Amino acid sequence: MLGLIKKDILIIKSNLKLIIVMLSVFFIMSLQKDFDISFIPPFIVVMLFISTFSYDEYNKWDAYAVTLPNGRKNVVKAKYLASLILILLAVIITILLNCLSSIINNHWEFNEFISGLIGGTFVTILIQAIMYPLIFKLGIEKGRICLFALTFILTGLITLFSKLVKFRIPIDLIVFFNNYWYIILPLFLIIILSVSYKISEKIYSTKEF
Amino acid sequence: MNNVIEIRQLRKRYKNEFELGEINLDIPKGYIIGLIGENGAGKTTLIKSILDIIKIDSGKIKIFAGENYMTKEDIGVVLDGMFFPEILNANDINNIMKDIYKNWDKKLFYQHLDKFKLPHNKKIKDLSKGMKKKLEIATAIAHHPKLLILDEPTSGLDPVVRDDILEIFLDFIKDEEHTILLSTHITSDLEHIADKIIFVDNGKIILNENKDELLDNYGILKCDIDSFDKIAKEDIVSYKKNKYVYEILVNNRNKMANKYKDYVVDKLTLDELMVLIIKGDKQC
Repeated sequence: MLGLIKKDILIIKSNLKLIIVMLSVFFIMSLQKDFDISFIPPFIVVMLFISTFSYDEYNKWDAYAVTLPNGRKNVVKAKYLASLILILLAVIITILLNCLSSIINNHWEFNEFISGLIGGTFVTILIQAIMYPLIFKLGIEKGRICLFALTFILTGLITLFSKLVKFRIPIDLIVFFNNYWYIILPLFLIIILSVSYKISEKIYSTKEF
Repeated sequence: MNNVIEIRQLRKRYKNEFELGEINLDIPKGYIIGLIGENGAGKTTLIKSILDIIKIDSGKIKIFAGENYMTKEDIGVVLDGMFFPEILNANDINNIMKDIYKNWDKKLFYQHLDKFKLPHNKKIKDLSKGMKKKLEIATAIAHHPKLLILDEPTSGLDPVVRDDILEIFLDFIKDEEHTILLSTHITSDLEHIADKIIFVDNGKIILNENKDELLDNYGILKCDIDSFDKIAKEDIVSYKKNKYVYEILVNNRNKMANKYKDYVVDKLTLDELMVLIIKGDKQC
């Protein structure tokens, strides 16, 4: 499985120049005090990592991959692990870039940065957790369209729901979240990632190429 | 156990109505087995079924290594147009595969790359078709597999590259524990290297014989249109009517040559055999 993780990281590495250019541009922008860099690297990771599915599909890699030892199980496992490793790497790079821009600007403001980073990372992992089963089931193109459609429908439904029902989040719940977010968020991510992984594994175990 | 692969009552049906089966097949150890048939006959479907790339509807496929079942560690694969993402290079493949196969032999892999004059750093997408195929083969044999399964490994390649590739297979099969199953529609390749021929047509196996016996046994009897009625119907496997002559596929060539001394009964090639069986009319 380590080999399959490497495969995705090597694909991303082959776009290294592009990544460095993008990060440099965002870093220069972050030197302007109003620009928040915190959510950018996780976002880049999502975009880049989804491109690995495109490369796989274009070269019919999956048909070849399932002939490798433990192919069907390891392909799915490797996709989830490789993307988590890259997100971790992106978080570290973001922190380093923020420290650098703070030194250059001589302006240290961590609270806003950290909440932006946590929010960005949370959304990134959430998008991946929803998207991977869709890609494994429908392929990269249809999966992407499906994700957009799903986001659109969910946003619409939530807006409609909040207008029809005068729903307000109880103040106690907000206080509870503020006190325990560092437990709630990781727990939520672990659950949603596990469910997503199990669904992907099930889809891939019977998929034909 | 002398069989490497045993297939029993295999069936696979696609939504477009194409159906493979029912297939019953034994692949003996130590042989080069050629799978032939026209495009869309079911060769790739059969190979994909064996490799679990597609799920079969019913039946059983067993792959053995001696008395035990073979694992994917023991199988090397070359598929038609399915390989690593083209953005990677040979070094990347080594880097990846050494963590996938326990028996990955880095030295052997690079030996083959050098023997085939393949660049280590060039992206797959920048390689020629022949070079890419050689890279796929170098990758397939670098973990010392016992069984090689190859789908159209020589299609679209020039005769020189094809000859190189056939030599690799002959080298691989020197070890009696090794077996090769390869599909191709370039039947002349098989005339050089195959021990057995399996002929697939319309999802079914219609011939499964030793190549030499097959080519010795079958013959092509040529006669003019007026003489066609003189050939006994039971002697005709199938026939094709050309402008001036009939080409008749006969079994038991020597016997037919004695029986019909006024006509020419030639040896035939696998290509001719394939055409006569698929396109020829059957005698009622």
